[in-house]
Amino acid sequence: MRSRVTRRDFLKIGAAGVASAVLTGCQSPRRWVALEPYVRPPEEQLAGVATWFASTCRQCPAGCGIVVRIMNGRALKIEGNPEHPLNRGKLCARGQAGLQLLYNPDRLRGPVGQAQRGSRAFQSLEWNEAVNRLYTQLSDAGANSAIWLGSATSGHLHDLFQRLAAAVGAPAPLVYDLYGALSGYRELAGDDGALPVFDLGGSDVAVSFGANLLGPWLSAVRYGVEYGEFRSQPLGKRGYLVQMEPRMSITGAVADRWLPIRPGTEGQVAAAVLQIIASNGLGGEERASRASALAAQIDLGQVATTSELSLAQLEDLARIFAAAEHPLAIPGGHLDGQAMAAVRALNAVAGTAQMSPDPPLPALVRSRISPYSDVLDLVDRMRAGDVQMLLIHGANPAYDLPPGSGFSDALSNVPTVVSFAPLVDETAVQADLVLPDRTYLESWGYEVVSPATSRPIVGSQQPVVTPVFDARSTADVLLAVAQGIPAAAASMPWPDEVAFLKELITGLPPGAAGGSGTEVLWARFLQHGGWWPASAAGSPPPGPAPSQPIEVPALQYQGQEDQYPYFLHLYMSDMLSDGRGASQPWLQGSPDPMTTMAWQTWVEMHPATAQGLGIEDGDVVRLTSPYGTLEAPVYVYAAIRHDTVAVPTGQGHTDLGRYAQGRGDNPLALVGAETRSGGSLAWSNLRVRIEPTGQSVAMARFENRVGVTEGFINQGFPR
Amino acid sequence: MHSRFESPWTWRLLGGVVLLLILQGAGILLWISSSRAESEAPVKFNHRAMVQVGITCLFCHADATRAPAAGMPSVQLCMGCHSTIATDSPEIQELAGFWQRQEPVPWRRRYQLPRFVYFSHRVHVVAGGFNCERCHGDVGEMTVAEPVVDLNMGWCLGCHDQQPNSHQLTDCVVCHQ
Repeated sequence: MRSRVTRRDFLKIGAAGVASAVLTGCQSPRRWVALEPYVRPPEEQLAGVATWFASTCRQCPAGCGIVVRIMNGRALKIEGNPEHPLNRGKLCARGQAGLQLLYNPDRLRGPVGQAQRGSRAFQSLEWNEAVNRLYTQLSDAGANSAIWLGSATSGHLHDLFQRLAAAVGAPAPLVYDLYGALSGYRELAGDDGALPVFDLGGSDVAVSFGANLLGPWLSAVRYGVEYGEFRSQPLGKRGYLVQMEPRMSITGAVADRWLPIRPGTEGQVAAAVLQIIASNGLGGEERASRASALAAQIDLGQVATTSELSLAQLEDLARIFAAAEHPLAIPGGHLDGQAMAAVRALNAVAGTAQMSPDPPLPALVRSRISPYSDVLDLVDRMRAGDVQMLLIHGANPAYDLPPGSGFSDALSNVPTVVSFAPLVDETAVQADLVLPDRTYLESWGYEVVSPATSRPIVGSQQPVVTPVFDARSTADVLLAVAQGIPAAAASMPWPDEVAFLKELITGLPPGAAGGSGTEVLWARFLQHGGWWPASAAGSPPPGPAPSQPIEVPALQYQGQEDQYPYFLHLYMSDMLSDGRGASQPWLQGSPDPMTTMAWQTWVEMHPATAQGLGIEDGDVVRLTSPYGTLEAPVYVYAAIRHDTVAVPTGQGHTDLGRYAQGRGDNPLALVGAETRSGGSLAWSNLRVRIEPTGQSVAMARFENRVGVTEGFINQGFPR
Repeated sequence: MHSRFESPWTWRLLGGVVLLLILQGAGILLWISSSRAESEAPVKFNHRAMVQVGITCLFCHADATRAPAAGMPSVQLCMGCHSTIATDSPEIQELAGFWQRQEPVPWRRRYQLPRFVYFSHRVHVVAGGFNCERCHGDVGEMTVAEPVVDLNMGWCLGCHDQQPNSHQLTDCVVCHQ
């Protein structure tokens, strides 16, 4: 007899099976979370109640005010400080990602030394031993020591390094990193380090000569806030934004008019606008006469040809600018000194040039970027064996400088190299001793905010959590070392950095937070996130007024056109900025706002150019400049000139932790060691050639390309 | 004539039963291991001994009167007394190990409300005036604390409903904020 399982039996068996599976499933363990109390609790902490501490962001040199949410001793979230006059409660992606610097798993747990540079075989040291070694070596090196700082260093630390250098007879610290170089800080800043204030919110026409205002230029958040005001002014008035740049940035994408002029002609365009205002008497008598004093005699037809703007477009630009009530011209970081002077002359003509106000106390230090020529001088001294000891804090010259600068070779001639990097970066790998500083969320400090608003701002920085690892504040290390050097002990008499800060800060004039008495002033300085006057007393000081006609010579490109037919446009990555953000996976994973690319380096190329070279999206190309090569996949990008390729900075780390290492390439390999007018690194006048490598990679991105790039090729857009 | 065992359905049925047995066995093993994990406190803290010498709940769970969570004592607080008291007890030695390594003690939770419930100890202890035993049972008679109530919604409402302002206290958003 053949037994059959009927449909009914089958269902019964199935139901029984499901029931028993569900019943056993019901016994699955509940997720019990362990309750881990403090080993040593802070006094003010309540279980389950968040505490917010105000401090200053150090992810870029802007100095936005932040408030950090702390729960049971852990920093959970960073937000903008609503009271802070610079960023008014807003914060950018880089500021948000600061938690991943604090809790980065690759941070050094304590001081380390290595017997052989570059070996990465670090030996743990005790702090006493490490500080003693620093002291002994610094005492030996004396005047032959050199100090290298970054642009986002706290004012008090900069001050202490200056005092220490003076005490041992060494030159003043060099302040240089890639952020300052790519933003054009050196050309923008006055002699005292003050950066100009661009009152975007109060202007009705803004002409940006390549400044990526809303990206990582001077202050993404500040100009983001101002951009909002610019677009929604009283009585329905809306500012008009013109953006000139060879490759569309996030600022170009929101501009009313995007002019992809020939790279390097921005200064000439500014000079032409000046001349048109002068010769046509635009914008009223006063503006026209100011323009006449500054306009050099130039051939407008020539400017029109080289910049690829028509005469009519130039005249239109001059007319819009001169007729506006509060016009504003903003120079980008890739302009050289003369081009920047021409752009700023436009503000002088309009009467809208402003500088950051002076620090409210002369004793407060505002960092001032050193010229690139100082970097080359130091490298020469290192090469000649005149530098016995190099201390590096907050900068990563082994990554930041182009290979042609000869920094790495010169470093091998320095007997002692000490780094203060919390994460082992490319420079710390070449150091003998690494004394990790605390990250900014665990540190004290102050920041004379520049560019400020119309009122001076001193941001406060305080530890928001107890230090995660056994890192020690570099300021305290310096104060300890100073005890053994008589001259330094006299100029650095404080027992610790807090005593030093307190003495400085309580000397500030009355501010918005009010209060009197040392303890109250100090507490309010920390509580409110800094010091600023209750109201803006007048407008900030006017910018430098040029008195002579400004000549802008034609830009000399590096590389002959026949050998290197394309312009190279390097730009600072919106997320990783100059590369310091590469250690933070949130920033690595945040898609670039224009291309939606993440985690890699790419080469942006116009569809028509790509088609002409037989290159498709994802094909790996080799870019060759007169100084070096770079290989990266092509991102076909319609919003770029036909004769230009663009590459973001920030990747290509060999160190800086697991998230940064081995991704993409550092485009600084394409840059030589030349200087441009104004003495800065010439990184924006390069030409390259493009060679397909025959390889291709599938690029992951967040956008849908279907139907996006078609149609641009035959229309010849944009030129 | 086919034997019963030659039917393909019989084999499938047997296979299904074996599979079910394996699944059930795995489930039972999981249950045993999880219940064991739950009961294993890292240090077998003796509540009764502490209460008998006059230490109140709030000495260790100090945030119950001022914060939503009652909090757990820091290792430092334990060692404040136990650096000198009962140092020969194996449990105290275990605790001292955490202190020496400067590690937090990973205490097991006995009560855990779902994430969609807002509960504040402070409100119940300060405004409500309840003592700890009202919800947690007589922990002073327990060694390792054991849960005595199942914190479900009916149990909460059983008390909220008895209060003078019950019309307010039984509103959804009181707990589900």
